[in-house]
Amino acid sequence: MAAPASVEATLAAAITQMEADATLRKTVKEATEPIEEITRQATAELNRLHSASSDKHEAIANKALEIVATAHPTWVEIAKLIPKGEFFRYQFAVSPLFKSLVTSIAFARFILHNELVPAFTAATLMGLTGEDVGELQLSSDDYLQGVIAMVNELPRLSINSVTAQNFELPGRIAAFVNDIFASYSMLNLRNDNLRRRFDSLKYDLKRCEDVVYDLTLRGLGASKA
Amino acid sequence: MADVAMEEAVPAPIAPTMTRREHLAKTFEAYRSELDEANERREQIIIRSRAITQLSKKLIFHCHRGATAPPAARAKNLKDGRDKEREIHANFVAIRAQLAIGADDGGNENFWQFKDRITGGLEEYIEAYTFLYYLETKELAPLAELQKALSDESGAPDYILGMSDLTGELMPLSTGDHDVPLAVCSFVRDVKLIFDAIPPKMVPKLDRKQEETTRSLEKIEKVCYALRLRLVEFGDKPEVLKTMAKRALEEANMAGPEGRE
Repeated sequence: MAAPASVEATLAAAITQMEADATLRKTVKEATEPIEEITRQATAELNRLHSASSDKHEAIANKALEIVATAHPTWVEIAKLIPKGEFFRYQFAVSPLFKSLVTSIAFARFILHNELVPAFTAATLMGLTGEDVGELQLSSDDYLQGVIAMVNELPRLSINSVTAQNFELPGRIAAFVNDIFASYSMLNLRNDNLRRRFDSLKYDLKRCEDVVYDLTLRGLGASKA
Repeated sequence: MADVAMEEAVPAPIAPTMTRREHLAKTFEAYRSELDEANERREQIIIRSRAITQLSKKLIFHCHRGATAPPAARAKNLKDGRDKEREIHANFVAIRAQLAIGADDGGNENFWQFKDRITGGLEEYIEAYTFLYYLETKELAPLAELQKALSDESGAPDYILGMSDLTGELMPLSTGDHDVPLAVCSFVRDVKLIFDAIPPKMVPKLDRKQEETTRSLEKIEKVCYALRLRLVEFGDKPEVLKTMAKRALEEANMAGPEGRE
């Protein structure tokens, strides 16, 4: 029969391992704090798009990209903490940050270049590049969710640009959202978060198109991007 | 990001001959294949994990049958149990192979990606494994032993949760020979004592399992109590004692809320 000591010794090994795991999880989470700050700053900067006049848009977008680009050294620090082969174990800590950064980058790049930034470029722009970021990687899932969060912002921008008498932007936005919606329709989604977020695209598209309709009805917003 | 995606995505500026939508269609093909591949792998792993759960449950029942069988049949039962355990193990090997596809680290990284899909089967397997191990050796299977058996990183939390279930499986054993209940009782008590010291945040589901363990322990303690009293009366008649123990357990089961089983 098991002597009490043997049970205790056996479980002690498991508990020690768990404690070490818990400590590392906490350390990784704490190490992400500087990036959380960066995501807040970038989001705040881009929020100014809703109120700033259109000639300021480019400067705001550039500023946001500059902020995002400062993330690199923190990624390097985080990468150092993660044991080899265990990136996905700590993905929970970085995944929300990836999504948020993709949102900001995609937003800025749309304003600047009227394009949807590809995942690879987004990863580069957030400083997720080079040997020293180790196994940190932007998954397609994170990227695709981040992009949808950006689209969620666009109906608001469309409406606000009309208020600011920028009648050209809503057309550009509607065409952009339309292209994105068509692209997402290519994906085989299963019943997960990405799927739920994809469903929200339809409503965003409708809202963006409604603004264009209102403008067209009144003979405004001539250009269709 | 899959390599394909990178190749597709590097020429960022939109080719003048291509519309934005056409260009997007190209990049999204890469995302689609990455998502599809992960989904496919997830499905395969879920299927294996379910098989592991089913087979492990069967192994647990098998062990119960052996534990209550006459001593002569026990050795054969344990041997058959080991064979069944190997059969389950083969499923883990298959999962590992699935994880290793396209990975240069033997699938280590992928393991953590799909950990949530594996954990259900893993827990059940650990329960079955430790039960079998207990019957073979009367010891608690060490974490290292299990990790060796799986040749992967079955995490400590899975181990703890599987172990917690084990205490429930041990309870019916306490109807065995009269020294068994006392040993089982002290074993379960030790496990509970140590688990109580684990911060609940560290193993999310442990709280509920500890309640189960507490119930099991109370039942076993009742059996021990009844046994101790009867031992005074019928110490020279082991057959009577065994029947008494069985009855005591049935009474304990009736009294408390239903345990697992």
